[in-house]
Amino acid sequence: MVRIEVEGLTKRYGFGSTPPSLDNVSFEYEGTGAIGYLGPNGAGKTTTLKLLTGLLRPTAGSARIDGIDVRDHPKRAMANVGAVIETPVPYPTLTVTEAIEMVSQFRGGPDPTLAQEIAYLNDRLDLPPLGERTGRLSKGQRQRVVIAASLIRNPTAIILDEPTTGLDPKERILIRNLLIDLKKDHLILMSSHLMQEVTEVCDQVIFINQGKLLLRDTVENVSARFRSRAVDVEFADPLPADRLSPLGSLVQSVTPLSDRRYRLAFDGLVTTRARILSQCVGIAPVIDYESASLALEDAYLSLMQGTSSNDVPSPPLRN
Amino acid sequence: MDISQLPSDAAQWKTAVSRQWKFYLRTWRFIGLLGFVLLIGLVFTVVSIVQGDSGASGADYLYNAMDSLGTFGVIIGAFIGGDAISMDFGSGTGYFMLVLPVKRIVLLLGRYAAAFMSTLILIVVYVAIALVGALYFWGIGGIPWLDFAQSFLMAALYGLAVLSTAFFFSALFRSPAVSMVVTILVMFLGFEIIDGVVGSSLGYEPWFSLLYAGSAIGLPLEGQPHYTARSVSFGHRTITTYLWYPYVWEGIAIMAAYFVVFLVISAIIYQYKESKG
Repeated sequence: MVRIEVEGLTKRYGFGSTPPSLDNVSFEYEGTGAIGYLGPNGAGKTTTLKLLTGLLRPTAGSARIDGIDVRDHPKRAMANVGAVIETPVPYPTLTVTEAIEMVSQFRGGPDPTLAQEIAYLNDRLDLPPLGERTGRLSKGQRQRVVIAASLIRNPTAIILDEPTTGLDPKERILIRNLLIDLKKDHLILMSSHLMQEVTEVCDQVIFINQGKLLLRDTVENVSARFRSRAVDVEFADPLPADRLSPLGSLVQSVTPLSDRRYRLAFDGLVTTRARILSQCVGIAPVIDYESASLALEDAYLSLMQGTSSNDVPSPPLRN
Repeated sequence: MDISQLPSDAAQWKTAVSRQWKFYLRTWRFIGLLGFVLLIGLVFTVVSIVQGDSGASGADYLYNAMDSLGTFGVIIGAFIGGDAISMDFGSGTGYFMLVLPVKRIVLLLGRYAAAFMSTLILIVVYVAIALVGALYFWGIGGIPWLDFAQSFLMAALYGLAVLSTAFFFSALFRSPAVSMVVTILVMFLGFEIIDGVVGSSLGYEPWFSLLYAGSAIGLPLEGQPHYTARSVSFGHRTITTYLWYPYVWEGIAIMAAYFVVFLVISAIIYQYKESKG
């Protein structure tokens, strides 16, 4: 069991009246699972993760892992943490194996099971040839090596800063599947721009913007609160828009996406959504009916527009 | 993982040294420097043999070779250590290394030791070639071994001093390329200009200059006057230039001061430098 605590964390770059990049942010989490850390560029996500891993020093507040202050005792605090922040680059002339071995040795000296651990990570992450020098790897290959290195010796906390940015779909799926497995017995804190990824991997989410924490809750609760207010419906055959007139006041707008696919905006209520489907089926055979966007995406957009940042309670994040 | 299973600082230092050394030895930079040192050493030796320029004695022959280390040492140290710290803040290496459960001072000292070992290899190669030339002309009995050993140890200390200075400059910049260029310019041209202006033209002993201290490396083999003055007249004007050599103890003291002071400053900067980029 690992515990991550952030208390009144503030980071101000520069002097004087410069607004803080991170402003009095607090949260804590203990146990296992995955937390998505969401916000637009410049929101303070990476700053938080850097403060949590000792790459930056806080202006005020503290970041603690298992009760150990990261600033005061970085070696002990990071003993059980695997972290991938920004774009890490191993020494370019070391091979894949040597780079991972080095991290292993720093974490715990000689390891008789190291070869098996590397073989497992190789299997899960489809690592490039282990004898290849890391300086010759593509960005995606290097990112997989860096993630493998962060997981060597099985740290209980994993901190990831947009781990799949810049990767191709196959690489994203590999990492997503690994994270889904890892969260069963690890605590993962990951920032991401990809709502689909967060929806699939994370149990909890934290929204942050302009350095301030806006909302923290379970993905389930957030999805319920910010359910989609539009659906996409696709008919089996081309259908003129005027055939949708029976929907009447159920929909607020109808936007054609193709000659047989439409986006229907509505009030967001589940009952309305069900009635729209029922009506559509009565108009013509329906082959697809889905939310126009992810609930998390709607939540993100709403929060970033400041529409509901203060009226949503924030329960403590704790397993 | 139990925190108590973390390796000691000493064990982590050994890991840092071995991995970093492997990194250095495989870089094109090191291979290029090795080629450079081989070329200079061989040219010096072959030209001496072809021209029959054996020097006045074995000590004199070796003095000429060792004296050049003052200049080569700066080039070697600047190239090896010129991006030692900036690489962690400008190239992404820091995002890989600085999130590990290792104290920064341990990483820095490991990197420093690896850089020194790489520098020492290059110095040894150069000195070995010079020694072969000296043995060719003067034989084993013609080599002042104790003086030669002292000169070599001073060259090693000079390597430490140069590296500390290079580490310091590399700590001031974020871009590895910029830090390396600035380090080379400052250490190679900057010291040369200061020595020229302060020492040669103004007549003050440039005791604060690392390059000046480097001119002491050959002195155990062949003593030189502390300074000489030469005056040249142009019509009514007389220009006096000075040539300074440090005392051996003075050269050692200056090198030791550079070694310690700049390493400590580098360590402090590295400890508190943030990964902002």
